[in-house]
This record gives sequence, structure tokens and C-alpha cells, in this order.
Amino acid sequence: MLTQLHNVEQSLNQVILGKSSQIRLALCCLLAEGHLLLEDLPGMGKTTLAHALANSLGLSYRRVQFTSDLLPGDLVGMNIYDARSQQFRFQAGPVFSQVLLADEINRASPKTQSALLEAMEEKQVSVDGETRALPTPFFVIATQNPLFHAGTSALPESQLDRFMFRLSLGFPDHQAEHQLLQRDSSTSRLELLTEQLNTEQLRALQQQVPKVAASDALIDYLLALVNSSRHRSDMLPLSPRASKAILRAAKAFALINQRDYVTAADVQQVFPYVAEHRLAPASDAQESRLSQLLLLQTPCPI
Amino acid sequence: MLTQQMLQQKKLLLCWAAIQLSLLLLLQQAFAGWVIAIFALLLLYRLLSIFQAKAAVSLKLVNLLAGIIAITFFLQLRQAGVLHFMLQILLLAAIARLLALQHLYEARQLVWVHYFLIACCFILHQDMLIALLIFLVFAANLYSHYRLFSPSVSRLNWRQSGRSLLIILPLWLAMFLLFPRLPPFWQIPNANIASTGLSDTLDPGSIEQLVQDDSLAFRVEFDGALPPRQQLYWRARLYEDFDGRRWQVNALRQNASRQRAPDNAADSSLSYRVIAEASQQTGLFALATPVTSSSNVFISPGGLLSSSKPVSQRLSYQVSGSLIPVMLISEQEQQLNLRTAAGNPQTQQFAYQLKQQYPQSHALVQALAEHFRQQPFYYSLTPPPLGSNSIDAFLFDSRTGFCSHYASASAVILRHAGIAARVVGGYQGGNWHPQQGYLAVRQREAHAWVEYLDNGVWQPFDPTAAVAPERILNSLDSALPEDQRALLDPGWRQLALLQNVRQQLMHLDYYWSVWVLGFNENSQQQLWHNLYRHLPAIAYAVAVLFSIIIVLLLYYRLTRSSTGNTPEATKQLYRYLGKALAAKPPSLSVSAFLLQYVSHSPGQNVCLKQLTALYEQALYKEDAVALKQLKQYLQCHKAELGRLRRAIKNT
Repeated sequence: MLTQLHNVEQSLNQVILGKSSQIRLALCCLLAEGHLLLEDLPGMGKTTLAHALANSLGLSYRRVQFTSDLLPGDLVGMNIYDARSQQFRFQAGPVFSQVLLADEINRASPKTQSALLEAMEEKQVSVDGETRALPTPFFVIATQNPLFHAGTSALPESQLDRFMFRLSLGFPDHQAEHQLLQRDSSTSRLELLTEQLNTEQLRALQQQVPKVAASDALIDYLLALVNSSRHRSDMLPLSPRASKAILRAAKAFALINQRDYVTAADVQQVFPYVAEHRLAPASDAQESRLSQLLLLQTPCPI
Repeated sequence: MLTQQMLQQKKLLLCWAAIQLSLLLLLQQAFAGWVIAIFALLLLYRLLSIFQAKAAVSLKLVNLLAGIIAITFFLQLRQAGVLHFMLQILLLAAIARLLALQHLYEARQLVWVHYFLIACCFILHQDMLIALLIFLVFAANLYSHYRLFSPSVSRLNWRQSGRSLLIILPLWLAMFLLFPRLPPFWQIPNANIASTGLSDTLDPGSIEQLVQDDSLAFRVEFDGALPPRQQLYWRARLYEDFDGRRWQVNALRQNASRQRAPDNAADSSLSYRVIAEASQQTGLFALATPVTSSSNVFISPGGLLSSSKPVSQRLSYQVSGSLIPVMLISEQEQQLNLRTAAGNPQTQQFAYQLKQQYPQSHALVQALAEHFRQQPFYYSLTPPPLGSNSIDAFLFDSRTGFCSHYASASAVILRHAGIAARVVGGYQGGNWHPQQGYLAVRQREAHAWVEYLDNGVWQPFDPTAAVAPERILNSLDSALPEDQRALLDPGWRQLALLQNVRQQLMHLDYYWSVWVLGFNENSQQQLWHNLYRHLPAIAYAVAVLFSIIIVLLLYYRLTRSSTGNTPEATKQLYRYLGKALAAKPPSLSVSAFLLQYVSHSPGQNVCLKQLTALYEQALYKEDAVALKQLKQYLQCHKAELGRLRRAIKNT
């Protein structure tokens, strides 16, 4: 199954050029059953990534463009009166899909944002007292513009916490952009993507993640890392939920790297993307200053 | 390669600029005015460029500039002297380096040159407060050194720094106590600084200026009890040439200062140690008749002490002697002190009268003292100006004068009366600090008195004691009228608090000079001697100390291992590769560190990969089999591990 996963990774690399580490991290987030927040300027390929991910994994994919007048009902769905059957019928919203791209999440009102975030956390939605489970796997890729852009309302810290990873694609390098301009159109490439890994296989991989071994010494190191963020005034402390997320992400990262044990290097690799938005919600995703600082200041004895 | 962001840290550059500026100030004695101006200009330019965030000056320009300046220094070598030239070149190198700083190794060189220059400051200064200042500069340099190697983002780790200092402290103490005191490698040139203290000529008025100076002249600690105050006449100069107005040291005395007086078996009941302040003069101080002294000081035939070189640093010497007056050395000395100068007719007349009345010289001196006591003579810091026949004008007209007037007039009278007499310059009394146990003699205790020849002995006679006995028994302040005391003490000196602080600082300075500066070969030998004598006790103490430390260490290890213990695999690896792993940056994991070298040293690749694979299995999977294999691997591949260690060390 891991070979299929690597095929997925390769074909994603064909679509989004020069961003292999971000693609690997995005897959890692998917395996760890977390949700992904992409922070970038418009036009950097966020949507393409989400779409390509859904296509190559054979998952159902919906995209919602968040605007300031989007209502929770538009997202979750609502009971509509059917005149013919004289009954209320539930009209499922876009949230009932396996990959949901919440585009420009920070342009929606806080109410809509929290409806989505609740769905992310609970993996279910309740409409008019009736609880409906969301499909599995359920993977949200939210994108947001950097906060200085007009008409945005920032996600509060408690809600940022729901996203396991925060990534930024960043500008492609010269070679990648040159290649991008030479070929016809990326959408055609998107359509060429075939299902490399079916849903069952993905589920199986996701279930393997918790089984990856993490030794006592490694967990001690992780705790030292997390602890170094506490009792400081220049950053928010990392919560136990954050440490759980870091370990899970590291395990997924180890799995992608074809290992059945987590190394300290795995923790160090995923740490900036898992921790930075929890340490400093308003920070720029491009530079992970605080998490790098913590990595540098925490000795790794193993 | 110094990372660019590190160099752009204004803090570090500013720190270096500040260090160089303070070095310039500390070493300014060694530099001529134009040299200081050049350095100051270069530093100013650098400071401006730091604040405007300009890049460093190009290396070529700096080299050219430094070359030109160095050549100028070289041309002035004769004037500056070799040591000062060396200091100039070193400081020039440091400043030029700062101007064109680009790489990490350059910054390291800079820091080391700073250390050397800081140490050089002690050539010119031994004062405690300045030593404190030098220590601050040293600390700043140490900080910049630390910054150079610490990750640029992290703050100063106080705990770690404190621990390093604690570790180094015993070493430092041991170096101070046990390092052999070597003779200096170079001669310290005589600085062109004005000398302080008594000069070789005694004008009417020269002592009045001196007593307004509150600075310290020397300090004395007595081995026995303090002699009575009336006997504390510290002799420093013999004035034997009189030209009618001023007294001068005879040329004979100046040349004779290198001769040693014959060792006479006079009793040396009095023993004391003098710590003289820097005066840039050779003349030193002793009571009455010194008999023996430490080797750095000569006793001249006149009973005066002198050092071979002008005293440019605080100098400490031991003297033993007696309070018996000095003996006459030769007939020539007597003749020298019978010469009279023309002029002062009234004085001559007065002297003849006295001589006729009192043929005995002792009685004559008594009568002279009585004369000063009976007639309305006044003791004053501000005597009126005297005419050409100054002695006449003083004795019969103004009758107001300071110790030099009285001494000068008495000596002239005695000489006219046919008694050999001379003026002695020195210090009288001093401030006794009973708790600290030393006598502080300041410049304001400067004094002049007379010695006359009586039965082959130079008897001291202090006319001032007749006029103002309080001067001798108490202090100068009490001898002066109220309105003149203000001349001695400017307003700020009268503040009690300041006075107290000054006093405490002086005591501290005393301990500093006794315990730190005065720690020479003798003290060191004494220390060794004492150590040897108490060897069993010391061995016992050291053993106890060691066992306490070991117990503490064991306790520390035990308590530590119960909380967060090092995994067995890591322990094993450190056992075999500890030295190589010491180079590991603390935040990097062991296997990541080792795998760095896969590309560096292809010869070790197989070994490295196997090792890290086993290590990761054993550590991260907690695989017992892998751990066993790792142990076996480490045991069986010692040669390869050695090669690996070397490879890591060399890259």
C-alpha cells in the first residue's frame, strides 16, 4: 500500500511542481486524520493541491468558496419541505464529502467558520436535532489569505487548534515556474490524474499510523520540546492536544518514510508545521520562527 | 564563515566598538595625542557606519589605510618606545579589523586580540577601581565571544554561563597563587607623565601647593606598635644647596642615590612595610635611620631610600631601622652644609647674636625654637609674598609662613651661626586606621624640617612644632586658622557620606594592594612553605572535599536517572563515540548527526549506515535484539570506529 501512496505522491508532484516537501506533509496530514490549513497568497496552487489530492485518492471532492454572507446552512445542508411527498427532506450540504476544500475560510463570518470547525472535530453534523455522520475519510483543506488582506476575519486560537497542519506553498522556484509556463494547462493534468489508492487502502493506512512505534526516550524528547514552550511570555503554550497532534503527525511522517518507528528527526521535521500556528496564531506561515527557536533551544540527547 | 545576519547584529559590532573605545581610554597614557586622534576618528567612522547600517569598508582600503598609519607609527618608534609602539600596532590592528569585518574567523581573531589588549592594560594600571573597569571590559569581550558561538537567536543562558565561571574559578585562583612570578619580559618605558610629590627644589610655596592635594602618597603597616606621632617624620629629600631663595638637592646626592650605605650593626628595632603610590620619581620614604630594606630599594648614605627606576607602579618594600637620628658620613658632608649664601643681612646679624649668646649648638637651637614660640609668628597656608631678601622679610617683617618658610629660615640661621644644617623634605604624621592596621600618608602631609649637626649626628629640629604644635600632634587642619581650612577641603569633600565612601574605597584599595598586587615571589614561597608545613591537614581536607563532591555527584546522578534516564542504546554509542559526538549540536539528534557524514567521508559509509540503522532500531523501536547487535557491532568494529571518530573530527 505504501508503494501506491508513493505513486500518489509522484503524480501530485507532476501536477504541483517543485513542492515535494509540502506535498509529503499534506499526505502526512491526511494519513494522520488531521485537517490541513493552507495559508498563501491567491494563485499559489492551493486549490490545485486539494483537487489533485482528491482525484488521485479517488475521494469525493467538494469546494466551498467562503464569503462573508455564507451561512452555516449553506455548508451543512438543511431540511427542505418537499411539496410532493409533503415531508421535510434533508438536502445535504457540501460538507458531506470526503475532501472538502474550504476556500478562503477567513472571509466567512465566525458563525459559519465554527460550524465547519465543529464538523471537523465531531465528524458529524446535527441539523434540526438529527445527527448525521460525515463520510469517512473526512479531510478538510481550508485555505486562507494572509491576514493583512482586506475583508478577512481571523480564526481564533481555539479554532486554529483544530487544524493539525498549517502549510504554506510559497512561490515556486525558477525552474519549476519555467516548466509550469511551458506546458499547456494544469487543469488538463488534473484530469489525467487517476485513482492510485482506493478508499479502503487509505483507511488501512490511516489505521496503521497509531501502530507506529514511539519509544519512551522519543516521547521524553517530544515532551521536552513541548514543555519548553510553556512558562514563556513570547509565545502561547502548547496544549496536550498539540503534543498528541505532534506525535500523530510524526508517526504518519515515519510511515510515509517507510519506517515503523518514529525518530527524533521525524518529530523535528513535522514540528514547525504542527506547532507554529498554535504558538503564534497571527504569525506568517512562511517563516516558522518560534518553533525553530524551540527546536534550537531544546537539546536532543538521543 | 560568519553568517551575514550575525554580523549585521548591531549589538555585537557595537559591543566591539565600545570595547575598543574603552581600550583606547585605558591605554591613552601610552599614546601621543595624534595617535589617539587617529584611533578616535577610525572608531567614530565605524560607529557611524554601524548606525547607518552600512556594509564594512572594503579590505583593500582598510589595508592601505592601516599600512600608512603603521608606517607613521614606525617612524615615530624612537619617540614612543617599543612597548608603546607594540600597543599602538595591536590596537590599530584591532580597529582596522573591525572596520573590515566580514568572516567568522576574523571576528575570532578580533576577540583574541581584544583579550591581549585588555591584559596589556595592567601594564599601565594597577589601581583597584581601574582593575574593576578592566574586568568589565573583559566581561564585555567574553560576552561577545559567547555570542559569536551561541545560536544567534537564543538569549544569554545565565545558568550555563554561571556554571562555566564557577568551574573556571578554582583554576583561576590556583593560577594566581601558584603560577611562578616571572621577571618582566620587557622594560616598561618611563611614561612622560608629570611626577607627583616632593620635587628636587624647595621654593617657598611649593609645599603649600602640595598640601592641597588630597591624594595618597604612601601607606605603611608596622610590624610592631605605631611609634608616637611626634616621631613620624618620613624623610624623602635632603635639600643642601641654598641660593638665597630656594633650596635644591645637591648634585652629589642625586648621583649617590645608587650607592648602598655600609651595613652598620645599628639596632633595627623598628620594622615596617611601605606601599608607595606611583609618583614617577625615584625617591622613597623612611623614618630616621633605615638599616635594611627589601632588594628592590636602595639605602643611600644620607639615610634616604630610593628605587632604581622612577616609581611608575605601586611599589611595596620592607624596611627595618631605628628612630635614632642619621649619622654624619664624611667631612665633605659637613662642609657642604656649612655653605651660606649672600644676602639677608638682618638674618646674619641675628645668627651672630645667637651664636655669641649660646655657643653650644643644642642650646642655640633651643633658643631659636623659643624665639619662634615667644615672638608673634603665625602659621599660614597663604603667606604674603616676600621680597628679594626673603629670609629677612619673613623673620623680621611678615612673620607669617608655612613649614617650608620656617625650615628654610632656621637652616639659614644655623648655617650663619656656624652649625652645619640642611632642610629635609618629606611627610609628617599620617592617618592611622586602627581597624585595617595601616597608616595612610597623603600628599597633604608633606612637610619640611631641619637637621643640624651635633656631635656627628644629624639631629632633627622642626621649627613648625614650635610655632604650631597642633600640626605635629594632630593634623594640618587643626593647625590652620578656620578660614584657611576651606582651602584644604573643597565643599564636596566635606560631605560626610562621600567622605565615608572614599574612606572605605581607600581601605579596599589597601587590601587590594597588599593581597593582590603585593603577592610576589616571597609571598608565594611563603605560601608553599605553609602548604608544606600543613601538608597532612591539607591532604585530609582535600580528601574530605573530594569524597563530599563524589557523594554529591553520585546523588545527583541517582536522582537524575530516576527522572529521565538515557536509553541504553545512546549510552552504548556515547561510550564508543563520545568524543566525536561532543561535536554534535545540542538540538540535532544522534542519528541525524552521524548521517551527516555519509556524504563527507565515503570510506565510512557502510559502517555509518549500519551503525545508525542498528541504533535507530534499538532506540526508537526498543528492540532488544537490535540493542544486542549494536553492542556487538560496537565491540567488534573498534578500528572502524576509530577511523570514524577521526573522520568526524577532521570535517
